[in-house]
This record gives sequence, structure tokens and C-alpha cells, in this order.
Amino acid sequence: MGFVEIRDLTFAYDRRQPPVIEGFSLSLEKGEILGILGPSGSGKSTLLRVIAGLEVPAAGTIVIAGKRVVDGGTFVPPEKRGVGMVFQDYALFPHLTVEQNVGFGLHRLPRKERRERVGRVLELVRMTGFERRYPHELSGGQQQRVALARALAPNPDVLLMDEPFSNLDADLRVSIRDELAAILRQAGVTCLFVTHDREDVEAVCDRYIVMEADATSSD
Amino acid sequence: MELARFVRQIRRELDGWRLASLGWAAVLLLPFLFIFSAWFRKPNEQWLQIRAYLLKDYVTGTVQLTVLTGLLAAFLGVSLAWLVAAHDFPLRRFFRWALLLPLAIPPYIAAYTYSNMLSYTGVVQKTLRDLGVEVSPKWLAFGSVRGALFSFVLFLYPYVYLIARAFMERQCASWVESARLLGARPLAVFWRVALPMARPAVAGGVALVVYEVLGDYGVTSYFGIRTLTTGIFQTWFGMYDVESAMRLASWLMVAVVGLFVLERWLRRGRLYHVSGRPRPMAPVRLRGGAAAAAFAFCFVVFALGFLIPVVQLIAWASLAFEDVWKPAFWRWTLNTVAVATLAAFAVTAISLVVANVCRRRTALNQLLARWVTAGYAMPGAVIAIGILAVFIELDGVLAPLYAAMGWGDRPLVLSTSVAMLVLGYVIRFTATGYNPVEAGYENIGTRFSESARLLGHGRTRTFFRVEMPLLRGSVAVGFLLTFVEICKELPLALLLRPFNFETLATQTYRYAKDEQIILAAFPSLLVIAVSLLSVAVLHMAERRA
Repeated sequence: MGFVEIRDLTFAYDRRQPPVIEGFSLSLEKGEILGILGPSGSGKSTLLRVIAGLEVPAAGTIVIAGKRVVDGGTFVPPEKRGVGMVFQDYALFPHLTVEQNVGFGLHRLPRKERRERVGRVLELVRMTGFERRYPHELSGGQQQRVALARALAPNPDVLLMDEPFSNLDADLRVSIRDELAAILRQAGVTCLFVTHDREDVEAVCDRYIVMEADATSSD
Repeated sequence: MELARFVRQIRRELDGWRLASLGWAAVLLLPFLFIFSAWFRKPNEQWLQIRAYLLKDYVTGTVQLTVLTGLLAAFLGVSLAWLVAAHDFPLRRFFRWALLLPLAIPPYIAAYTYSNMLSYTGVVQKTLRDLGVEVSPKWLAFGSVRGALFSFVLFLYPYVYLIARAFMERQCASWVESARLLGARPLAVFWRVALPMARPAVAGGVALVVYEVLGDYGVTSYFGIRTLTTGIFQTWFGMYDVESAMRLASWLMVAVVGLFVLERWLRRGRLYHVSGRPRPMAPVRLRGGAAAAAFAFCFVVFALGFLIPVVQLIAWASLAFEDVWKPAFWRWTLNTVAVATLAAFAVTAISLVVANVCRRRTALNQLLARWVTAGYAMPGAVIAIGILAVFIELDGVLAPLYAAMGWGDRPLVLSTSVAMLVLGYVIRFTATGYNPVEAGYENIGTRFSESARLLGHGRTRTFFRVEMPLLRGSVAVGFLLTFVEICKELPLALLLRPFNFETLATQTYRYAKDEQIILAAFPSLLVIAVSLLSVAVLHMAERRA
């Protein structure tokens, strides 16, 4: 049994519509970086939202690090799943500084340890020295690295990344991609990485799967 | 398996937030259920009398006033909106917001101001006599239905004006310009393009006007017009007959629900949206006579609706400043501020919880949001009678408890407390606070909240650490608007205030009713000044949007 195990997952936004995801299964080793490739509308972002606990599947089971988070009678809410996520638009809290953003998920740590941990992840993403800045004072690439640091800080069992490069322009994309690959390996994190760009997958991931746009799906 | 899934669903859905929302919705149901319970009781003698001699007057008075006010306010509001949105003339930019100002003057204040100005000793007749001009008093008679219509139309039309203008300015541009390019004449552009498109917006604005008229007590009672609302007051204050008041209230409520449905129907599937980014309409420059006429029209409305009454009130207030400025005045102000703050605070809290739950747009949630905010359409008198009935019943139920506490046999504790008034305000004005908060939630989206959840914070912590700081602006707007509405409110305050508890609005009304017009001027000005705040907020919110 894999570190992340998904069995027969089915999800529909509306009961009257055909499911976006149907009978999907997946197994992921610890420390593996898996790419999920597919055109828009193939349900790959939805898959991440279901794994994160932001959506409830109609059927199927998900096990993360030996803990059953979803099955017919179980639903572990997102805050108790140990899942980290980097959103497409980063979703950095605009009213908090970089330091407060990264420390946001570390509320259970005592102040001193929290400080240390924030310093360490900011160093990992090479953003030391930006602690006091607000998100709107950062460039797109910098925001992305802060978002990554924030997701990594609480040491999640699995990291989900939803099209992390789509908001960056082409030049930046290439350099950041290599950097990201290095950071993820250094952190040794298990990661699911969604993109529609084959080059992203080749640069970052150990292996990848392809989700086809379902003929029955609406968009 | 199915049962397990069901349990999973329930446990996920029914957290504290949703329970609180549903609980509040249930509380809201109580006063309305109580009102309708009157239908199942045996009618008493007074009701038979009311039905035989008064009900017809009440209904015709109500229908006459609402229909005429609705039509006239629609005409005035839409024509001003079209003039300002699509044309350019001298001082247009000033009139654009100045035409909102009449909203700051509650119609009952306008009613007694004008009726005293036009009376035999008022400034108009005096001036005319000094000039030696003789005008038949018939022309100056400012009473009954004519006076009420004037007070309603001229001081409520901004609801229509605001909504219609915003719609025309933002949504109509491309259609209006196409029509112009196709060679349609200006009037045809209005009748065939702008007006039909703006119909949903106009219907929304007129509905607000009509709800105000249905709920009005100040103007109608001042002019002695029989409506369902004044009827409710008479049965309660004249005969202390809650049951008949409840019956009348139930009929008024049926009328409101009917209107509500009618409004929805008029707006059905007709919300036009421009594909892409809406852009402002290029106004047509008016010249010569047309420009002068447009200016004159706007100026007359502005003068009648704001300038003249305010100047007159200032003149009166300066005569009586010493008499009004006494300790009691501070007490009324303090009462007003305390009650308004308390109720606005509750409204904001309720809005934050319910709008948070309703971010997921399921059918049930939509219904919940509608229900919680429905009070804005309910006449104050209906809400008040419902609450009175519930609280009197509660006092009956709690009588043994009171006795055990040594407060005597069957005292009225709840039904003589200020809690009734606060609850009434909350029910009536939840929509005022809810709409900005809901817009605020929509504005910040769900991303930040989802991020916070994934970083290990529960729903409540997420609310306090992320949503609340981001919603600050919307919450402030909602709070302020609610506060102002409560300061202006009259019928609820008159019906639900504890004995000897006066607010600025009730005291103003009392002075005006006793023909102590000069004393009424200063508190009136204070109410207007507070209301100007909300007009300013509305104007700024619109500019930012």
C-alpha cells in the first residue's frame, strides 16, 4: 500500500450532472513527485480539491500516511488532513507579512520554534530578508516561493500544487521550474503536481499520469 | 453504508455556524407565525366592528397611496436617472449626487415642515400677504392625500433614481450607443432601449419605495389618512386590542408578500449583463433651451427635496435652540445611540455568521439568506405587533419564574423591556447590514479561507484570523448604514419602546404632532445630519464599484 492511496474515487459537482471524476485510482510512494497532466476540464484541479478535503467525493476512499481521510462514513476536514496546497493564484493573505503568512500554519508551535521554522523554510526558498514585506510588495515569482514556503512550513504529509506556474511569464517560468524541482527534492516532500504543460512535468516530476478530458464532462 | 454516508454528511454540514444560522431563522419565524395564529381564533367584537366600518377604508387608503406613490416615484426617479446618465448639462456632476440627498430627510419630517410652511402663519402665505398677492388657500392646502404623496414621492424617489442611474450608466452604454448609431431619436432610445432594459432595476427601486410607504406611520398619521399601518396603531394604542392588531397585520403582511412575489416576477430572467467589462456611457451634450430645462428640472427637485426644508428647519431651530438644549435632549440622544449601536452590532454579527454559511450556494442556503433578510420588506408595525404578541405570551409562560424571583404576580418583564425594540430593529434592518457583508465575502472569495483551513485552522479560527480582517471595510459600511436607518426609524420605535423611553425620532414626532414645530426642528436636523452619513456611504460605495 502506497503512502497516498486513492481508490475508485468519483466526484460530481451536481448530482444531476455526469461526474467530473469517475472511478479514479492512484498510488503514491513517500517522497515521490507525481505530475498530473491533462487539458482544462479534465478534473485534475478538482482531484486536488477532493484530496485536500475542500470537496466531498460521492464515492471512493483516500488514505494519506496510513490515515483514512475519506470513505463512505468518514470525512476528515481539511485542517486535520496534514495536506499542504499551493494555489494557482497563491492566495497569500494580503493583510499579513511574509513572516506571518509563512508562520500561519505553525500556530501550535511555541513562538521561538515558530520563528526558527519560518526562518528555515524561507531560507529553503531563498526568501530570507523579505520577512517584513507584504505580499503586494513582491513579484510574482517571489509570491510563489512564499506560497510554497507557507505550504511546506507545517511539514505536510503531502503537498498539492495546482498549476503553480500559470501566473508567471515564460522566461521566469523556466528558471523557477528548475529551482522548484531542487527545493522539492531538498525538502524530500511527497508531492502531487497538476499542470497542462508537459515541460513542467519533465522538469519537476519523477513520473506522471495523464487525465483525459472526459467526453461526458461539460466543460 | 447509506446511513454512514448520511451521518457523515450531517456531521460535516451541521457545525456551530450553520446551527446558529438555522436557530436565528427559527426565531425569526416566531413573530410571523404568531400573527397568523390570529386567524384561528374566534374574532372578538372589536374586530367585527373594524371589519364592518374601517377595513375598507384601511385597504383603499393603503392601495391608493402605494400605487400613486409607486407610479410617481418611478416617473420622477427614472426621468432624473436618464437625464443624468445620458446627458450633459450645467452642474450635472453636482446633481448626480445631490439628487440623492432627499433620502436623508425622513418623509414625516418633510411632511410637517412643508405643511407648516404652507399654513396660514407659515413663511409662504406670510410672504405672499406681504407682497399683496392673493392666492386662494385651496392652492396651498397641503393636507391629506396630496400632502402625503408629495412627502413620499419627493423624499423616496432617490431609491429609484440611484438604482436606475447606476444601471443605466454602467450597463446600457453599448445598446444605447448602437441605437443612436442606428438613427433612433433620443426619445425612442429612452422608450425602446434604456427603459425596457432598466426595468428590473426600476422594479427593485420602486419596490423599496412601496415597502417604505406600506410601513409608514409618521406621514399618514400626521395627515390623518387611514391605512393598514395606522389602523394597527389605532387598534393597539386606542383599544389595546392585540388580537385585532394582529389580524390587520396579517393582512398587511399578505399584501407585502404579494408585492414581493410581483417584484420577483417583474425581474424574472431579465437581469441584463454586458458581456465583457461594462463601460460608462458617453453623455449627449444638451444645448440652449434643452440644457436650461434640464438644469431647471434638477434644480427644482433638489430645492424642494432638500434645500428648502433644510433651510426652513435651520431657521426654526435657531429660534428655539435654548428651549431644546436641555438635559432631556441628551437623554434622547443617548437612548437613540445606545439602542442603534446595540441593534447594529447584532445585525452585523448575524450577517457575518449567515453570509459565511451561505457562501456555498445551495438551494437551502439561498432560502436561508432570503429569509433572514426578508424583514426589510416588512412594515415596522407588522414586525412590532408580532414581537409584542410573542413577548406578552413569553411573559405569561415565565410568570411562575418571576413569582419565584419575588417580582410579584404576573409582572410584565420582557414586554416592557427595551429588548423588544432592539429585536424589532434587528429583524427590520438585517438586510441593510447583510448586503455589504455578503458583497464583502464575495469580494474576498474562498481562496484565503481554503488556504487557512489547509494550514490547520478550523472554521472559527479562520474567520477571526483571515476573514474578519479582510472584511473590515464591508463590516464598517454595513454597521454604519444599519445604525443610520435605526436612528431614522419611527413606527417600530413608537410601538415597541418602553414607557417613557424617547428616542430622537419619537420625540421629533411628538413635537410635530403637538404642533410644537419649532421645537421639532433641532432634533430633525440631527436626524438628517446622521442620515447624510449613509447617503455619503452609498455614494462612495457606488463610486468604488
